[in-house]
Amino acid sequence: MQNLAKYLRRFVGGLLLTSFLIIAVNIIVLVVIMSKQTPSIYPWRTAEEVLEALTLVKNEYVLAEEVEEALKRDGAWAIYIDNNTQEVVWQTDNLPESIPKSFSLSAVAQLTRGYLDGYPTFTGEGEKGLVVLGYPKDRFWKHMWPSWDYSFIANFPKMLLAVFFINLGMLFIIYLVANTQLLRSIKPITNGIQTLPTGEPVYIKEKGLLAEIASNINRTSEILQEQKIQLRRKENARANWIAGVSHDIRTPLSVVMGYGAQLSEDASLKEEHRQKAKVIVKQSKRMKSLINDLNLASKLEYNMQPVNLAQENLVALTRQVVVDFMNLDLDSKYPIEWETDEDFAFCPVMVDKELLKRAISNLLQNSMNHNEQGCTIYVRVEAAVAKGLVTIADNGVGVSEEELNKLNNTPHYLICDENTTEQRHGLGLLIVKQILAAHQGTVTLGHSSYGGFAVELSLPLLT
Amino acid sequence: MEQEYLKSKRLLLVDDEQELLEMVVAILSAEGFKNLATAKTCQEALQTAEKFKPEIALLDVMLPDGDGFSLMEKLKGTGDYPILFLTARGEEEDKFKGFGLGADDYIVKPFLPKELVFRILAVLRRTYKSDSPLVKLKGCLIDFDRAEVLKDGEHIQLTAKEYNILVALYRNAGRIVTIDALCEAAWGDNPFGYENSLMAHIRRIREKIELNPSQPVSLLTIKGLGYKLLVEG
Repeated sequence: MQNLAKYLRRFVGGLLLTSFLIIAVNIIVLVVIMSKQTPSIYPWRTAEEVLEALTLVKNEYVLAEEVEEALKRDGAWAIYIDNNTQEVVWQTDNLPESIPKSFSLSAVAQLTRGYLDGYPTFTGEGEKGLVVLGYPKDRFWKHMWPSWDYSFIANFPKMLLAVFFINLGMLFIIYLVANTQLLRSIKPITNGIQTLPTGEPVYIKEKGLLAEIASNINRTSEILQEQKIQLRRKENARANWIAGVSHDIRTPLSVVMGYGAQLSEDASLKEEHRQKAKVIVKQSKRMKSLINDLNLASKLEYNMQPVNLAQENLVALTRQVVVDFMNLDLDSKYPIEWETDEDFAFCPVMVDKELLKRAISNLLQNSMNHNEQGCTIYVRVEAAVAKGLVTIADNGVGVSEEELNKLNNTPHYLICDENTTEQRHGLGLLIVKQILAAHQGTVTLGHSSYGGFAVELSLPLLT
Repeated sequence: MEQEYLKSKRLLLVDDEQELLEMVVAILSAEGFKNLATAKTCQEALQTAEKFKPEIALLDVMLPDGDGFSLMEKLKGTGDYPILFLTARGEEEDKFKGFGLGADDYIVKPFLPKELVFRILAVLRRTYKSDSPLVKLKGCLIDFDRAEVLKDGEHIQLTAKEYNILVALYRNAGRIVTIDALCEAAWGDNPFGYENSLMAHIRRIREKIELNPSQPVSLLTIKGLGYKLLVEG
């Protein structure tokens, strides 16, 4: 929109400049034409010349040769009226018949000002008489009453200026109105174009000059929306499919797990058989967490998992997860060391409690899954600058640099769009990354100072 | 003694999967539950409930002739007893829906027998606590009805806070209860800043229940995390 305003400013500026130029050019042309019109006073001058060129020779007037020639070229005739007798005392040979031979005072006044019998006439006043020049009827047009109010002439420059500025003002208003209307019709279109990339639906009224553009934008928006819906539908179908499969597996798995657990504690069985049953339980637990992970990961990936943010105490939340694990780990194969400073009791964060608990418990589970022989897990909650940190480390087998690099950079098959059969890492870490991403947090994988694997979760601290 | 009493409660089990029903019955029977009834549909469940008069029910959410939530509504109409859900749907919204309607707990399939038994007993203990007057610890008895401790023939009264803390610990007997959960039990929601008060209360509780409060054997500290109450028998 800013660009549009700039464009319009430039447009209006250009129009104003051109109008100034047009007016200036007009004035110059007018002045030039007017200056070329100066010869229009020449018949009066000719009359003067005729008067001067008339000489009285033996009681008869004679016109100098070259002046007579000039008159002939113009097709003009001339007479000389005596002041005393008011009669024509000299005339050119081509004097039309209709011209009278004597003139009354009023007739003289009439021909001085205007025409004589339709011939435009011009006079030259001498001491003894008046020379009258008559030109062909279509040669001159005479202004008969060349008089104005004195105030009109006195104010003429002012008026000229006023007219100039009024015109200018009117031009400006016309431009303004025209441009506002243009702007008004362009505005919805630019708005529409700017909304398109956001993915929101756009509808512009298909009216006026720009109806075609509006219609094209509407079509584009419809196509985008349709594609969005299609994509969403596909994603939903995929997530629902995963949810459905994981749902259907749960009941049969319950039976496997339940009987397995019962057999593993059946005193009437041989130790060897009980051990086998324990393996069944362990593997069904793995399947259970796989189902849970798969479902949650697909929901997080397709934004179908609601994230209900609320203020939580990161220390209390982590403590709860740790305690839940300790309560389940009855044979103490995976002791957990709570390394959080005893004085550090409150660490406010905006999180979805269940999701973050899930992330932390996934990390604890991860340490257990990768250390069959058992290991100690170290959990620490601390505050850094504007951040709450949870570190889960262990003294287990850890990872090599190469594996760490792979963990950090290889996409999981669930979110990988290439065809691949390469074995990818488990869902547990993917979920942790997804959950932290949904909270504007980060996950850092690395080596633990205790010799094993370490993960640091960082969340924005609530202030 | 107390558990036997709780395990004698009439338990109604509703799930459409025959093998799962059989397995749960096998687990619960092995654990000592004596009065069990099963049903595979809503209709059957309602008929059975009429005669059997359950004292606790375990329902599947998805049943062939209706969903577990509406079945719970109907069952609640016939008698006031706790209801747990056993379901293959772990989604959060279902969880809230279940609790919102008055479900007492929610167990997601698949589950371990231990977990199932623990959850059922926890709900039973909470619901029928007045039927269990005395809790035996090493060195004393706790009478939750009267909020007092019986030690060496002496009746020691518990304060309201001590009582609430002990109840929270007892409900999770044998398991660690976090500092935060105990503070919440004693001081309600938003219990931040009571850690030191909690320590003082724990000290006083130990003086009342432990034979040697400086070397506790019943109320154990799990450093930095919480406390654990060990119950005898």
